[in-house]
Amino acid sequence: MHLKYESQLREPLVKGNKNYHQVTEDIISPIEAKPTTLWYVGFYIAVALLMFGVYSVYREVTYGIGQWNLNKTIGWGWDITNFVWWVGIGHAGTLISAILLLFRQGWRTGVNRAAEAMTIFAVMCAGQFPIFHMGRVWMAFFCLPYANSRGPLWVNFNSPLLWDVFAISTYFTVSLLFWYSGLLPDFATVRDRAKTKLRKNLYGTAAFGWTGSTKHWQRHESLSLVLAGLSTPLVLSVHTIVSFDFATSVIPGWHTTIFPPYFVAGAIFSGFAMVQSLMLIVRKVFALEDYITLGHIEAMNKVIVLTGSIVGIAYLTELFMGWYSQNKFEGYTFWYSRAYLFSPYGWSYWGMMACNVLSPQIFWFRKMRRNVFVTFFMSVIVNIGMWFERFVIIVTSLYRDYLPSSWSVYYSPSKYEIGFYLGTFGLFFTCFFLFAKYFPVIAVAEIKYVLKTTGDNYKEKMGHLEHASAEVFAHSGHGHTTVDNHSSN
Amino acid sequence: MSKQHWQSFGELNNSDAYKQSVNDEFQEQLPMEAADNGFLQTKTPRRDFLKYLGFSTAAATIAASCEIPVRKAIPFANKPEDIVPGTANYYATTYIQDGDAVSILAKVRDGRPIKIEGNDLSPITKGGTSARVQASVLDLYDTARLRFPTIENKEVTFEEVDKAIAAEITSLGAAPIVILTSTIVSPSTKEVIAQFLAKHPGSKHVEYDAVSYSGILLANQASYGKKAIPSYRFDNAKVIVSLAADFLGTWLSPIEFSKQYATGKKIDEKNPEMSKHIQFESVASLTGSNADERFLHRPSETGAIAVALLAAVNGQSVSGVNEELKKAITKTAKELVENKGKSLVVSGSNDVNVQIVVNAINETLQSGGKTIDWSAIYNTKQGVDAEFATLVDELNAGKVGGLFVFGANPAYNWNQSKKFVEGIKKAKLTVSFNGKADETTQLCKYVVPTHHFLESWGDAEIKTGHYSFQQPTINPLFKTRQWQDSLLKWNGADSDYQKIVKQYWSTKLGGETAYEKALQEGLSTTGTASLVGASFNVSSVAAATSAIGAYPKVTTTELYLYQKVAIGAGEGASNPWLQEMPDPVTKATWDNYLVVSPALAKTLLKIDLTNNGQADAYEVKPPKHVVKITANGITVQLPALIIPGTHPDTVGIALGYGRVKELGKSATADDGNPLGANAFPFASILNGTVSYSINKVDLSDTGDKYPVALTQTHNIYNTAQGNRTEVMKELTLAEYKAKPTEILEEREEEVKPYGGLKNFQAQGTIYPNSMNDRPGIKWGMSIDLNSCTGCGACVVACTAENNVSVVGKPEVLRGHEMHWLRIDRYYSGEDLDNPKVVFQPLMCQHCDNAPCENVCPVAATNHSSEGLNQMTYNRCIGTRYCANNCPYKVRRFNWADYSGADSFPDNQKEVLNDVVLDMNDDLTRMVLNPDVTVRSRGVIEKCSFCVQRLQASKLSAKKESRPLADSDLKVACQQSCPTNAIVFGNANDKHSAITAHRMDNPNRLFLSLEQLHVLPNVTYLAKVRNIEEEKA
Repeated sequence: MHLKYESQLREPLVKGNKNYHQVTEDIISPIEAKPTTLWYVGFYIAVALLMFGVYSVYREVTYGIGQWNLNKTIGWGWDITNFVWWVGIGHAGTLISAILLLFRQGWRTGVNRAAEAMTIFAVMCAGQFPIFHMGRVWMAFFCLPYANSRGPLWVNFNSPLLWDVFAISTYFTVSLLFWYSGLLPDFATVRDRAKTKLRKNLYGTAAFGWTGSTKHWQRHESLSLVLAGLSTPLVLSVHTIVSFDFATSVIPGWHTTIFPPYFVAGAIFSGFAMVQSLMLIVRKVFALEDYITLGHIEAMNKVIVLTGSIVGIAYLTELFMGWYSQNKFEGYTFWYSRAYLFSPYGWSYWGMMACNVLSPQIFWFRKMRRNVFVTFFMSVIVNIGMWFERFVIIVTSLYRDYLPSSWSVYYSPSKYEIGFYLGTFGLFFTCFFLFAKYFPVIAVAEIKYVLKTTGDNYKEKMGHLEHASAEVFAHSGHGHTTVDNHSSN
Repeated sequence: MSKQHWQSFGELNNSDAYKQSVNDEFQEQLPMEAADNGFLQTKTPRRDFLKYLGFSTAAATIAASCEIPVRKAIPFANKPEDIVPGTANYYATTYIQDGDAVSILAKVRDGRPIKIEGNDLSPITKGGTSARVQASVLDLYDTARLRFPTIENKEVTFEEVDKAIAAEITSLGAAPIVILTSTIVSPSTKEVIAQFLAKHPGSKHVEYDAVSYSGILLANQASYGKKAIPSYRFDNAKVIVSLAADFLGTWLSPIEFSKQYATGKKIDEKNPEMSKHIQFESVASLTGSNADERFLHRPSETGAIAVALLAAVNGQSVSGVNEELKKAITKTAKELVENKGKSLVVSGSNDVNVQIVVNAINETLQSGGKTIDWSAIYNTKQGVDAEFATLVDELNAGKVGGLFVFGANPAYNWNQSKKFVEGIKKAKLTVSFNGKADETTQLCKYVVPTHHFLESWGDAEIKTGHYSFQQPTINPLFKTRQWQDSLLKWNGADSDYQKIVKQYWSTKLGGETAYEKALQEGLSTTGTASLVGASFNVSSVAAATSAIGAYPKVTTTELYLYQKVAIGAGEGASNPWLQEMPDPVTKATWDNYLVVSPALAKTLLKIDLTNNGQADAYEVKPPKHVVKITANGITVQLPALIIPGTHPDTVGIALGYGRVKELGKSATADDGNPLGANAFPFASILNGTVSYSINKVDLSDTGDKYPVALTQTHNIYNTAQGNRTEVMKELTLAEYKAKPTEILEEREEEVKPYGGLKNFQAQGTIYPNSMNDRPGIKWGMSIDLNSCTGCGACVVACTAENNVSVVGKPEVLRGHEMHWLRIDRYYSGEDLDNPKVVFQPLMCQHCDNAPCENVCPVAATNHSSEGLNQMTYNRCIGTRYCANNCPYKVRRFNWADYSGADSFPDNQKEVLNDVVLDMNDDLTRMVLNPDVTVRSRGVIEKCSFCVQRLQASKLSAKKESRPLADSDLKVACQQSCPTNAIVFGNANDKHSAITAHRMDNPNRLFLSLEQLHVLPNVTYLAKVRNIEEEKA
């Protein structure tokens, strides 16, 4: 434990003058209560969506990718758009839990648990698309570099898709470990409060025998730091590799060196928007306004306006290069297929511009940053915009590439393509509803830790101390000037 | 007392206890029974349980084994002499359909003909084929073929039908029998018919062509005293003028003409000269698209143009046409006159007067004996409309007792088919020999289906002295009988047709050995070598000219009926390969439609193609405006396609659609209605011949939309961001002569940032380049865009050779067509209404630095040491990244189970249409090439450079211990090409044709999208247009 001083002027990270017991009560008691009707309604809607997704995938696996409206020119459409979108969303969780941990940002504790859960569920959703977009999904294991009896046949390490396999699987594994190790002390708390045998056994098993001994805490802290260290490069690398799926190709609109940083910024952008969407609901439903404060919301909105602007600059850079390179193929893709509003997909480009670049600019205003409704609305807008971005990159580049003879007819998704996407929403929210009900949605142990240094109690005491210190300081002979100044005032 | 052994006292005494124990199987009671008495009372006691288990296992096994289709492979008990399993035999035979006859080789694998190749020995087609010839093998396995003789739609045996017809013929008494056929090219068949007619006095033989050539036949009778069509020699012509004759696509003998035409288009780079082709036409045709210059006119102006051209070549003043045409005609006449004796004018008109004037033009140009050869006349078109019209009248008058129909289908394609249908009902005896239940056959009481030509014996005299022979390549699949045999039988002859053919030719060729040899080679030629003219009767010209002068001046929108390259007059309508082949001009499949010009589209459809947004909307949305077309009192509704190269006041409709559903799934739309609409009723009889142009047509946009399956939606390679000359290169002959290295410099400019052409291969990449030091074979292809006419023969040949799936209209609409080889058609030039057209055959370019190869996560596509970009189907997991990353977009994905090769059961019916299911029928699947894997759902496929042929050729060279030679192989597209535009071979061999082709044409050589540094193995030679004036 390090010593930390935080000024009284800073907003407390936990409000409501809580003590440790209250914190535990606030966060753990919903787990112990019966689910509300609202929860059941939401959960069943999510499960229904998931079932529709399962049916859509069944159709596609049984009848072929022809169940989707892709064609000879557009080999990827909604499938990979959704993949990149979900992977991007996951990034906020990792950024919050890993990078902010390393940077000792105390405010992360209020949102990190849910954000990490979101990461894991988002990556699970993302993973469905590259798997089920395969024409022969039952042969998907060909992608794994395992010892086989097929002679020298091995995976192709040159392929960005193979890099994806490694990137996504690593990302998922590390995120899961990180999240779960953070959950251990909280599971132990639930176990200790358990009144039924079943609950005690389940949470006891999940807690891996956590006792809260100093040894446990010490190891837990070290593990957290190690995993944070491992996760940090992943925040940058995963979406960089995803961007290579496009950047290493020859297709105008994909073949762009700007993609890695642009994709990472976009991922964080959309990730924070998704965290906002979810947390604003959780905060309301579970009455956690004291833990997820307006300060949290504002901090995340700042990240959104920053990354949104980075993404905006990337868009402008692409347009500039489309002209500056004097490459007629790139020029056509950027200036006609995309930026020309009345071209067949012009609407998607300008939809993206409006959602991602223009609208987040309202977060330059503090009032807007701290407005819950504006934030929620904007978080949805940003995620729509980021979906458009991936759609624009994939579809508008493919549908009119080099040979005009192969330019495509208009592509719009089939119901099973949409169904697959909705299905991943179902998967995501099914998982999230279960998480919200049965897992501590806020890291109890960690919030208690920040409560010491940034809670109301602390602030109050620190206020006295500061005041007292000032008195002491003023009368200690070191501060003549101050005192003098003071008195002279 | 025998020795008795006993084991116990009980046994010895036979006590009760012992008896009891013997009765029980076990010495003690089973503990189970003791433990639970209820056990035996249950419905399934232990022993029964075992029985049930056994039964259910057996039942499950049987049931399960029923699910697995049993595929029988029966080995030969004794190996037939000529059949080596896995080795193909080639039999020379002749494709004959509706008078068209082409010498071919049929590739027969394990007893099944699976592919048609051109016969290189033929002096007419010289090994060339057309799309229709290539596709004809599929007709053999058509599920809609008639499988047995019928009387009033009831199946009967041949004995029964023979008996019934014999009785009918007797009962006819003196009423004449008419044998109505398509043009008969077979001398022996003519003999058989003659024998029949001789026995039945008053009977006659009427020849009838679906699309009439009466006009030219009668004109030649008037001009030369011969009712015949002479040979044309386009190869001898420096200037070719065609008045709406689609001689490269559908007119008379397109394969032969393409071959000849291409010789004039081949350019010697050192001495660049080429023929000049000027086309006058109304609706964009394949031939017009290839013309150096094309002038558009109304169909009603055809006569005036011919007369004006005659005047112009005679040095008189041109009148009767508008200013634009006047200029064009004067220019054309100048070119013609300058090349007297080296020029040719042909006309596709069926108007006797127009053809007489054309004859006069050719006479003035001294074409006779030079570009027109009267020593060999075509036997392929003999029908005279007036004769058939007389027959229809006779039928209606009840003067015809019996009507025997073979090949002809007037109930569909006669312009007054209703009258014919009425008439045929009045004939007492109606017999159809047609192989399918077409419109006319359905009206006949007796149907005695004939063989497919691949099952038949026969012969053809295509031109005078050019004989081609037919021999069966497979036993008849069904209960069919050659129609000549039926005639012979009913005539009471004891000989069969096969014997007659043999006898006829043995006599004619001088012995059985000569006949055997001719049969083996498939043809025999006794034609004279020298070209002969004919004496011209000038007197007919004045009458024709004045008749044309009296033709009405038309100001309304006109309708022109044309034939599609693939479908013809409807012969291809039931063939899925032909229906799915994109029309070379419109790039549409599976439909006919109204062809309108961009100018007319503006007023009729409110679509302005010069407006980006409207052009985009028209292009990206398959549903097209449905237009109501009324002419000659007939109304049809068809979707409208905007096709540049069409006269603004003319619309076109293709013939051959709107067929009956009995012709098969391909002729039927998915809703069960006929596919497209029949345009024949629009035609009318004008001056005794059928006219395919209609002076007045009313058009109105219905507001409905109907999807048309186009395989290419964008048509120009010029964009607002620059002309994409990297894709396609073309220039004019004048430009080329002025600066031969223009293309080379253009290429140099493209790759300048990467070290220029010389260093491009090495410097275009940061990776070490190892492609230079590859010894051995390096396969390469070179395509001369100047020779390629875009006819599409290669597309169908590729489909046949490589088992390319047919996907049906709904799938083509979604951009799912599977063609490995496509022909891109681009428009260029300033004039949207009459642009220049260029065709570019495009298949996998087999890039040495292939962008598809490095992106595959499982290495399913990789590079061979011979420069092939290989596709490993069973490794492919279907990520489609390779297809995305292919700049040429030649990779095709199996979106559904098109081929039935999938292991998932029952996954075709719901998502694929009947055409595809029909292609998966056991009968249709007989056409599959066993050398090529049938691809399953979910994998990518693409052109393999016919790797199966390459392997076979390497093997044959190896077996003979010699290096591979060019003569060892021809890939399917190359083989089928009627213009020899495709050259293929080992580019590492200094003596190969491919090396020569590239070395000899350094100035026209280019690679498509060269600057991408994908290093393709397919090279192109730029298109050169013979337009002197431009930029000069």
